[in-house]
Amino acid sequence: MAEDSFLTDDLLRQLISVGEVDLLVGVPSRNNADTIGHTVEAIEESFQHAFPRQRVVIVNVDCGSNDGTIDLFLNSSGRKNASSRGITSLRTEHRVVARYENATQATVLRTIAATGDLLRARACAVVSAATSNLTADWVGNLLQPVYRQDFDFVAPLYARQRFDGLLARLVLYPITRAVFGKRIREIQSGEFGFSGRLATNCTTSDMWREPSIQDLPQACMTVTAIASGYRCCQSYLGPRLRPVAAQTPDIVTAVRQAVGALFWCVNAYEDYWMGHSANDTVPSFGPDHELTDDPVTVNLERLFELFRSGVAELSPLLKTILAPDTYAEVQRLAACDERKLCFENMLWARTVYDFAASYHHTLLNRDHLVQALVPLYRGKTYSFFLQHAASTAADIEADSENLCLEFERQRVHFMERWKSQTEVST
Amino acid sequence: MKETILQGLTQAYENLVRMIADFLPRLVVMLTIILIGLLIAYLLRAFVRSILHLTKLDRISEEAGASHVLRKAAMPSMSEFLSRSIFWITLLGFILLGISVLQISELQEQISRLFQLLPEIFVAILILFVGVLAANFLSRAALLTAVNAGYPSPRLWSGLVRFVIWILTISMALEQVGLARETVVAAFSIAFGAVMLAVAIAFGFGGRDLARQTLERYLGSREKEREKEEEPSPL
Repeated sequence: MAEDSFLTDDLLRQLISVGEVDLLVGVPSRNNADTIGHTVEAIEESFQHAFPRQRVVIVNVDCGSNDGTIDLFLNSSGRKNASSRGITSLRTEHRVVARYENATQATVLRTIAATGDLLRARACAVVSAATSNLTADWVGNLLQPVYRQDFDFVAPLYARQRFDGLLARLVLYPITRAVFGKRIREIQSGEFGFSGRLATNCTTSDMWREPSIQDLPQACMTVTAIASGYRCCQSYLGPRLRPVAAQTPDIVTAVRQAVGALFWCVNAYEDYWMGHSANDTVPSFGPDHELTDDPVTVNLERLFELFRSGVAELSPLLKTILAPDTYAEVQRLAACDERKLCFENMLWARTVYDFAASYHHTLLNRDHLVQALVPLYRGKTYSFFLQHAASTAADIEADSENLCLEFERQRVHFMERWKSQTEVST
Repeated sequence: MKETILQGLTQAYENLVRMIADFLPRLVVMLTIILIGLLIAYLLRAFVRSILHLTKLDRISEEAGASHVLRKAAMPSMSEFLSRSIFWITLLGFILLGISVLQISELQEQISRLFQLLPEIFVAILILFVGVLAANFLSRAALLTAVNAGYPSPRLWSGLVRFVIWILTISMALEQVGLARETVVAAFSIAFGAVMLAVAIAFGFGGRDLARQTLERYLGSREKEREKEEEPSPL
């Protein structure tokens, strides 16, 4: 098995002492001493309330913490409500730690999947140790659909500030929906659930070695689940708080990691989506995706200036990547008045598709190509802010739906671009 | 006296006529050889191109990643690159052959030296090729980083990176073929030093405020966090 040489001896020894389990929760961490105790409490509370008879294990995959995160994980007392222990006192709630000095997120996720596979867990979940508002319900909502309803992949749904998560709203979700044919909103999230079957499938996959997915591998797991025909669903968790700036990647890093990983998936699963044009909703549990009106501070002037200067400075690159009419339209936009900028959905869909097709044809270094999308993404974001400054949540949802429909309509254009340049290059 | 002058002029004229009569056929032969070479080079290019298209070399090269490298260096596809190389090598061979027909001893000496230098020239071309790749890649990386971070004059930074790598590559290539070694090293040191000094002076004196802002931006994590907070959270 692939994981024989992959998991450390120390981890394997711990897993042997655990034996088989029904449920596994993986907690990736790196210097999360402030929140890991709370995370463990929430997980154990969930086990206690929702899964009192099941064999369970919590796996902490730590990437070089030096603030005592591992000690806190192993020694936190867990249960808040001692009176409700009941039958849980008859079982051992195992805690296992996998230590890495400097592992990528792909290694972390692969470790959790391989652990789930080795322990023959029926349902697994991953929760981020950095999520400060994690509750027992979140863990339960990720595990229940897999354990009790035989789903294989559970994507989260959150309540978000209406201008947060725009990369997911403007790029990741529309592409997932239009290209892979599943309406899964959050493909790059710190929390999700999956079955033992999917864990086994992913563990033996070669995707973990791919450089493009090392920092954000969740999208690949989602796409693998879709493309391999596993049953997918979404489950509402709760409000997703905006993390402090120091713990989040900047906009360039986020685009490189998230869009790079998704483009790689589009390229790797070409055979699947080329012959699959269906567009299915997936079952959702709990309330739908929600938008909140919390205040947000954005420097719109800087956003527009970075778009304008980016288009001007990168014009030779954009000319190579974009179709001629798309390129001309983008140039026109960059020259227009700041207060009137409107990045139309059709133009945005064509732009993103042109980038995905150029990524496939490796028109230039793939990382550089994804970086060249950043100024255009800023332009679309700026346009989104202008358009929805006074919009209600319903208006924003309606616009998102229109964007997704436009991506679906432009799928033909995408397939033409995908195929045409292949013929030229051969 | 008059007769002597006339005799001298006549001899000079006869010599000139003899030289022209001797040289012209060789020139015609040389031009014919070059023309035939050009024709053969064209035919060879077309033949090699069609053979390479038939063997689907481009697809193999694409899969092996070689086309990727060529594209990064702004070069044509593998089959086009090889067929053009065959064309130029063939044409160059015929030109050298033609020149040797002229029987100009100095030229023949230079040509034989050129053949002796061929291994060094090959290594120098390889150095230039790698240099072009590195210059294209790193200048584009600098351009994208500067544009996305909002630094002023991104093309200047990108051009500077390209220029420095080009200077370094050319001096290494010339060093390899042994052309004016001392001059090349001295010229490189002076040019490189001058550029760096000019940049330092321009940046330090001409744009003190800009230097301060840029250093603050590079070194100040607070500035970076503020910029991050001013942009919508992407994920």
